[in-house]
This record gives sequence, structure tokens and C-alpha cells, in this order.
Amino acid sequence: MSEMTEVTTTGQTAAPAPTETPAVSLHAVTKRFPGGKGSEPVVAVDHIDLGIIDGEFFSLLGPSGCGKTTTLRMIAGFEYPSAGSIRIFDEEVGLKPPNKRPVNTVFQSYALFPHMTVAQNIAFGLEMKDVGRDEIQRRVAEVIDLVQLEGRENRKPKQLSGGQQQRVALARALVNRPKVLLLDEPLGALDLKLRQAMQIELKQMQEKVGITFVYVTHDQEEALTMSDRIAVMDSGNLLQVGSPEEIYDHPRTRFVADFIGETNLLEATVVDRRTAELGDGTPVRLDSDAATGTAVTLAVRPEKLGLVRADAERNHDLDAVHGTVDRVTFMGNAIAYHVTIEGGRIPFGIEIRQGNAPGIEHFAVGDEVRVRWAPSSASVLED
Amino acid sequence: MSIVDAGSAPAVAEDSVARPRRTVDRVLAGNAWMVFAFLYLPILVLIVLSFNDNDRVGVWTEASLRWYGEMFQHSRIMGALRTSIVVAVLSTAVSTVLGTAAALSLERFRYKSQRAFDGLLYLPVIIPDITMAVMLLLFFVQAFDIVLLVTGVGMSRGLGTITLAHIAFNISFVALVVRARLSGLDSSLEEAAADLYASRWLAFRRVTLPLIAPGVAGGALLALTLSLDDVVIAEFVSGAGTTTLPVFVFGALRRGISPLINAVSVLMLVGSILLVVGSLAISRRRTGG
Repeated sequence: MSEMTEVTTTGQTAAPAPTETPAVSLHAVTKRFPGGKGSEPVVAVDHIDLGIIDGEFFSLLGPSGCGKTTTLRMIAGFEYPSAGSIRIFDEEVGLKPPNKRPVNTVFQSYALFPHMTVAQNIAFGLEMKDVGRDEIQRRVAEVIDLVQLEGRENRKPKQLSGGQQQRVALARALVNRPKVLLLDEPLGALDLKLRQAMQIELKQMQEKVGITFVYVTHDQEEALTMSDRIAVMDSGNLLQVGSPEEIYDHPRTRFVADFIGETNLLEATVVDRRTAELGDGTPVRLDSDAATGTAVTLAVRPEKLGLVRADAERNHDLDAVHGTVDRVTFMGNAIAYHVTIEGGRIPFGIEIRQGNAPGIEHFAVGDEVRVRWAPSSASVLED
Repeated sequence: MSIVDAGSAPAVAEDSVARPRRTVDRVLAGNAWMVFAFLYLPILVLIVLSFNDNDRVGVWTEASLRWYGEMFQHSRIMGALRTSIVVAVLSTAVSTVLGTAAALSLERFRYKSQRAFDGLLYLPVIIPDITMAVMLLLFFVQAFDIVLLVTGVGMSRGLGTITLAHIAFNISFVALVVRARLSGLDSSLEEAAADLYASRWLAFRRVTLPLIAPGVAGGALLALTLSLDDVVIAEFVSGAGTTTLPVFVFGALRRGISPLINAVSVLMLVGSILLVVGSLAISRRRTGG
């Protein structure tokens, strides 16, 4: 690995331009853990296919126990897949031990070696690869500069704050210039302010070094803020893979819509390919292949809904439904309205969130209103 | 309880929070002193009498190093001391390695019949010494018979059998101590080492071993002490002509108490104290760093 290529890639990837080479590809990967005595094995990861593009910041997002960490651990080599293949830059690694894989991991607990200093921790990987003494010193100094830990080289991990330990863990992985960096909820142990600062810093660092990041988190906001692409997982399955905008604006399943942000679910019946009817008979526009009479669920984000007086002039570009405000919640940066839609057999509630800028009309409990939205901001869910 | 007592009870309770109850304190302190006296007076008597220049144990004449001089001249005592040290060092070395390996296998791997191994490993800790001694003696007798039958080589009990017997029970103690240390060790540290390109062996040598070293050292010291201390098992599995120091002392006592034994006992006491102080110093340095 020559120094020249490192420098040029670093320069080029200032604006992320991921190429089409898959950095990591999983094919039909399944992981089963033996269950208790006499019980069925537990399927932690169920037959997933996934391609992670070189240079991207990729997040595996899901609730605890969804299989995201197991997936990461299989890429790292701490677990071996029960079936399927894992390739890193077209090299099959599924059954290779972790020390033979071109990846490094930032652990949730940091896993810093307590008996070594910061510099010794960072140099460990290079020593194991038999890199020369001078080069180790140079690269350790370089990466200490990158994570801003100058002057703390000779401290023991215990003498550092949580945020500093986090940087050491990052430096210890990055110094090896891995092809892929795996991060297992690395910010989980930090407090909110520090976590938000580190989110931005991590993203900037990733753009600077141009290494593919695979990031495991259960925090949807974190995933949305940092990722180029997100894979949402639940009970061992991949539910949706896409950019943060795609995942947020067009969730494909009820689980994704619900897990990421808040959402309103509207039950409707398909009339034709372009229209459906809400419970109260209000027509709404959609884009679906479903047959006439099929029940579908529409998901609309609270902030994509507008609120006007019931007698306001109609805007025919927007879909709208009539209702009554039954709860108003002041949230500081926004006001949340809960509106009950009376028509149809079952009354249902919609949550609307409006900013607090001047000119935005405010409503009170009991006001008759029309809730309206652009047809493109309503997603038809698959389940 | 009288009515007066009951009425003053709250005042006493409040008082006891603010000030220590002197009577209880004194009783407790007295108890502590008595325990110390009970434990240490015999040792004091032993030490004092070991410097007594008289052929009879109980009669004090004057202070001298006579019995120490005789002890160092006594070839059987020096021979027994040498045997004890050789057995202790050899059995400690072997059982520390094997015991640490056993602890690692139980803490870090999952395999079939692991539970059975776990239970069986600690059997020597709970089996009475005398049972263990009879077991080992029978085993050596049978094994030597078979060796004689098959190869025609005659083997006898001695230094080798004592060492083997000590290894057999020391493995369990070492494993117990090392395992306690290992279970407190974050297993992701070993994963991190592997992730940073360390082979299994290097991960063990550079990360696991330095971190469990206090446990391993503690286990080794325990093994050393147990080996130096053992009478029953060594008595059974030793052959004619080979004795360890405790076995010699035990035998000498049966022939009558000689002041020589006092000197030997003090020697063993000093040895044990040095071991304990040494182990404390090691663990202090480990945790202090």
C-alpha cells in the first residue's frame, strides 16, 4: 500500500462518490444459535442478501434482538454464518477467523486493552501485522492527530473520559487502514450532547478517510443523520434498504414506518389504480397495483400534514379529510394537534405537527378542520 | 423489661446513633483481642521455645541458636526440605499451566460434556485428603504393576509420585482461582485482539495473560502453599527414603517432641510468611499500576 494512493483517495472522497464495487456482500446469510435443551435453534439472521457499496456510510438499524449485531459480528468474523456466503471485496471470508479479514471493529464497550497505554493500544494492530517500528510511530502519531488525542498518548484507558476512550477505539481501528470499518453502537455509552457532536465528527471522519463504514445502531435519528444508506432489520430479516430520505419518506412496511420517526396510518380501500377511499368515504390519491376492494394502509408523517379551517378554500392538488381537533400539545419547537376523523365506521386520530413560525394559523380544541397532504407524501405499505 | 426501661428506650436508641455504645464496643474489642491471642500465642510460644538452649521442650534455660545449628547439620531434615522444595516447585509449575488451561477452556469455549468436566475438575477440592491419598496410592500400585508386567521395568514410589499427586490436586485449585479472574474479564477484549490481526496465541499472550496474571500468580502461590503443607497425601504416596518436610515433622513428633522440631516449624512458618508477603506485593503492584 503506497502512501500516494492513500493521499489521493483521501482527497477525492471529500464529496462521497461511492463506486459500484461491493465492499461487503452477503448472500443468503443465515445464523442459527442453539436454543436451550430440547428447544428449537434460534434464528438470529434469516437468509439475508445485502450489498454494501465501497466508500459509503451504511447503517444497520433495528430494535434490540433484530439480528443487526449478529450480522456485524459475522462480517467481523466473531460469528460464523450457519449458511450463506460473506464476501469482502470479492474475497470469500465467511469462515475465516477475524485476524485474517481486512476489517476492523469499534466495539460498543470500546474493548480497549486496560494494561496498555493509548499509544500501545493504537499500535497493537500494526505490531501484529509486523509493520516496522518507524512506520508504526508515524502512523500512530498521524491517527492520534486525526482523532485529536495529542498529549494523551501515555495515558491508560481508565484515565480517559468516555468520549476520549471512544476516540481511542476509533483510532485503534482506523490506524490499520481497513477496507471496511465496523462500528457496533459506538456512541451508545455517551451522553446526548457528546453523542450528537460525535455523530457529526464520525461522518466527517468517514468522508475524510474514505473507508466504508458499517454502523450498527438502534437509534433511528443517528442512522438518519449519518448514513448514506440504511438497512432496517427486524427479527432476523431485512425489511428495507435505502437512503435516509427513501426510508423516511417512503417506508415500505408498517414496521419501518413505525420504527423510524412517527407516523399516521390511514386505512383505505382501493377504488382503482389511482384512488382509494378512507373509512368515511373521502377519496385519496395513491399509486398502487392492488385490485379494487383491497384494503391498504397509507402512512403519512405528522409534519407532512397541513391543517386548515374546515371552511377554507379547497386546494385540488392536495388530498384532504375532515375532522375535529381534540388535543393540542405544545412541544417547544412545534405544536402537535390530534385530530379525530369522525366519518366511517371507526373514528380514528391523526397527529399533525406544525412549526411555530409567524403566519401559521393556530387551532384550539373543538375546531372543525381539514387535514391535507400532498398525495406523494403518502406511502402505501405492503403489510 | 421494666416500665422505666421501656420509657427510656427511645432516648437510648437516639443516643446510640450519635455516640458509640461503649459497653458493646469494649466487648467486641475484647473478643477481637482474644481471637488474636488464640491464634498467635501458640505461634509466639513456638518461636520463643525454638531459641531455647535445652534438651527438653518445656524447660527454659537460656536463648541460643543451638537447634537451628543442629537443623542445618541434620542431613535427613535438609534432604526432606530439598524434596519438599523440588516437589512444590515442579508441581506448581505444571499445575499452574494445566489449571490455567482448564480455566480458559471452561470460561471461553463451549463444547460437549463441558458441564461434566466442570464438575469433575473441582472434585479434588471437596474430596477429603485421606480419600485422595488412598486413591492415588492404589492407582500408583496398580499402574506400576501393569508397567512391570508389560515392559518389565520396575518402578517405585518417591519424588515422582509425590509430584504427580500434588499436580493432581493443585490443578483444581489453580483452575478455581484463575477462573474467578477470567469471568471478570470482558470477552470482547479477546475479540478486539483477534480483530486487530492477533492469532489466538498472540491474543492470549499479549492481552489475556497479562490481564489474568494476578489470578495465575495467586493460583500458583496457593498451589505452592498447598504442596508445601501437605502431609496426608505425601505420606501415602512417598516411598522409602523420600520424605517431604511436613511428613518428616509428623514422623518425628510420633517419636517424641524434640526442640529440633520447633526450629523446623519456625523455618516453615518464615517460609510461608515470605510467600504471602510476596504474593501481596505482586498483587499490589498489579492493581496499583
